[in-house]
Amino acid sequence: MSDKKKILIVEDEADQRDWLTTFFEDNGYDTITAEDGQKGFELARTESVSLITLDISMDNESGIKAIRNLQETPATVNIPIIIITGVSSDFKRFLERSKKVNPPQGYFDKPVDRDELLKKVKELIG
Amino acid sequence: MDNLYKTYFKALPCYLTIQDRDFKIIDANENFVKNFGDFRGRYCYQIYKKRPEKCEDCPVERTFLDGKRHRSEELVKTLDGREVSVIVYATPIHDEDGKITSVMEMSTNITEIKMLQKQLKNSQEKYRLLFEEVPCFISIQDRNLRIVEANRLHREAFGTFYGCKCYEVYKHRDKACHPCAVLKTFDSGKVHLHEEVVVARDGRQMNVMVMTAPIYNDDGEIESVIEMSTDITQIRELQTKLSSVGMIISTISHDLKGLLNGMDGGIYLVNTGMQKEDRDRIDKGWEMVLRNVDRIRSTVLDILYYAKDREPEWSELRLSEIIEEIYSVMKPKAESLKIDFSKEIILDNDTFKADSNAIRSMLINLIDNSFDACRVDKQKENHEVMINITGDSEEIRFEISDNGIGMDQETREKAFTLFFSSKGSGGTGLGLFIANKIAQSHGSNIEIESEPGVGTKISIVMPRDHVDSAASNESEDSQSTNKP
Repeated sequence: MSDKKKILIVEDEADQRDWLTTFFEDNGYDTITAEDGQKGFELARTESVSLITLDISMDNESGIKAIRNLQETPATVNIPIIIITGVSSDFKRFLERSKKVNPPQGYFDKPVDRDELLKKVKELIG
Repeated sequence: MDNLYKTYFKALPCYLTIQDRDFKIIDANENFVKNFGDFRGRYCYQIYKKRPEKCEDCPVERTFLDGKRHRSEELVKTLDGREVSVIVYATPIHDEDGKITSVMEMSTNITEIKMLQKQLKNSQEKYRLLFEEVPCFISIQDRNLRIVEANRLHREAFGTFYGCKCYEVYKHRDKACHPCAVLKTFDSGKVHLHEEVVVARDGRQMNVMVMTAPIYNDDGEIESVIEMSTDITQIRELQTKLSSVGMIISTISHDLKGLLNGMDGGIYLVNTGMQKEDRDRIDKGWEMVLRNVDRIRSTVLDILYYAKDREPEWSELRLSEIIEEIYSVMKPKAESLKIDFSKEIILDNDTFKADSNAIRSMLINLIDNSFDACRVDKQKENHEVMINITGDSEEIRFEISDNGIGMDQETREKAFTLFFSSKGSGGTGLGLFIANKIAQSHGSNIEIESEPGVGTKISIVMPRDHVDSAASNESEDSQSTNKP
């Protein structure tokens, strides 16, 4: 067992997955990736991850469904979620007001400010 | 005794005269003298009407003739020139032998009543005019939902006639709508407001805002309900268009954000790769930068293409050269998506008059669409896209085929409409629209054969020589007609 925290990156675009993976590993985290919400949910249940970054609009299953699944499952309900998305900021307000999902622990609009993202990750999982 | 009646005669508030058989006034009361002057030796028609001879229709004459009372309405002129409306009563006066010796004429001033009648008539006419010409549909309905009154716009739009049922003319139904705002108003006595879609007699559908209000009779009961409907179809259409614009802006915004993020990520890899002297990382990062720059460029060019109506720049092209160029640009993308991309050109003569950039853009958009169809298809192990070019001396046939996810009928029908995109996260939705626009400007149209789960074939047959501007304009008009 490595003592590094593991971050699950859920993102359908290969370029986004690649650079997030590299960025987090450069900063001392392990990473695991998923191409859609469904796969992300499966990995979250089986892989003992400390944090999840989540895109919203993905082909097979959207981030919305993934959040609901994650928050409804005891094994994953306490894993902090950071949304990284190109959907407009109105969506953040929508999430915060939604009765069906709890607000995510972090929210970033693309293109992401790397320093702010890293600060949030450290704040959430050290 | 006579003196008392004399006093009464003099004091009466109407105009009283006594006239002989020659219509000379032989006596009159004070009110008459005050308003019409001295009567002695003068004729009735002279004083009242300034006439040289008797009126054609004279109630006094009729009374002399048949001994009965008669009345009429007259317009008379006073001493100072005022015109006065009067009701005239002529009554016979008999002597001891029963002979009619004279006639008493009693004229009551009804000028004010006449004025009020005129005002009322004008007022009613104004309301009638308002009812008829107001630019919304108005109907008055009874408890059985029969239309008992309708204004001009309503009659013209719906063919309304007295007694017809409102649900028949509005909705072509054979029974009342439920719930019904008119019946609600009959029940509650309150104004009701709601939105409806109605059908005019020419078949046109309209969005209308309907307001209903009660009309009470003298006993305070609701006798009928007035229904006013305002046509808001254009407002709804504008809302739809603005929603579409908002949708495309947010879609483009979303995609560009992703591309900028990818480019930024690539730059990160290049920078950190150089710091760590990690060659593989630098190479990978630079590939990311180039790929995302290219995609940003494509998106921006699509937007610019859409924003500007472009006249084709005709030139003679070598089709095989264009296809080779497009193939070399798209092949790496196909490989990265694990798509088998192939081409086949069967042409004796590959020269062709067209707009080079437009043709390139059209084909790239169509191939990109096929790549996306393969990318989102999770049911098959292997995907392939083929571009096939054939032709004869008159025309060139392009076919782009894929075994991707395929299109159902609705998708095929909407594929070339502005902003249509069934892809959640790929493309601006402008690609197929632009491709079709280019085909049309070259005197052609795009045909789609597709089956969900199986794949799609897109065909374009283009004349080898360019179409003249008249045909091109015709295509543009045709396109405008089809635009949603």
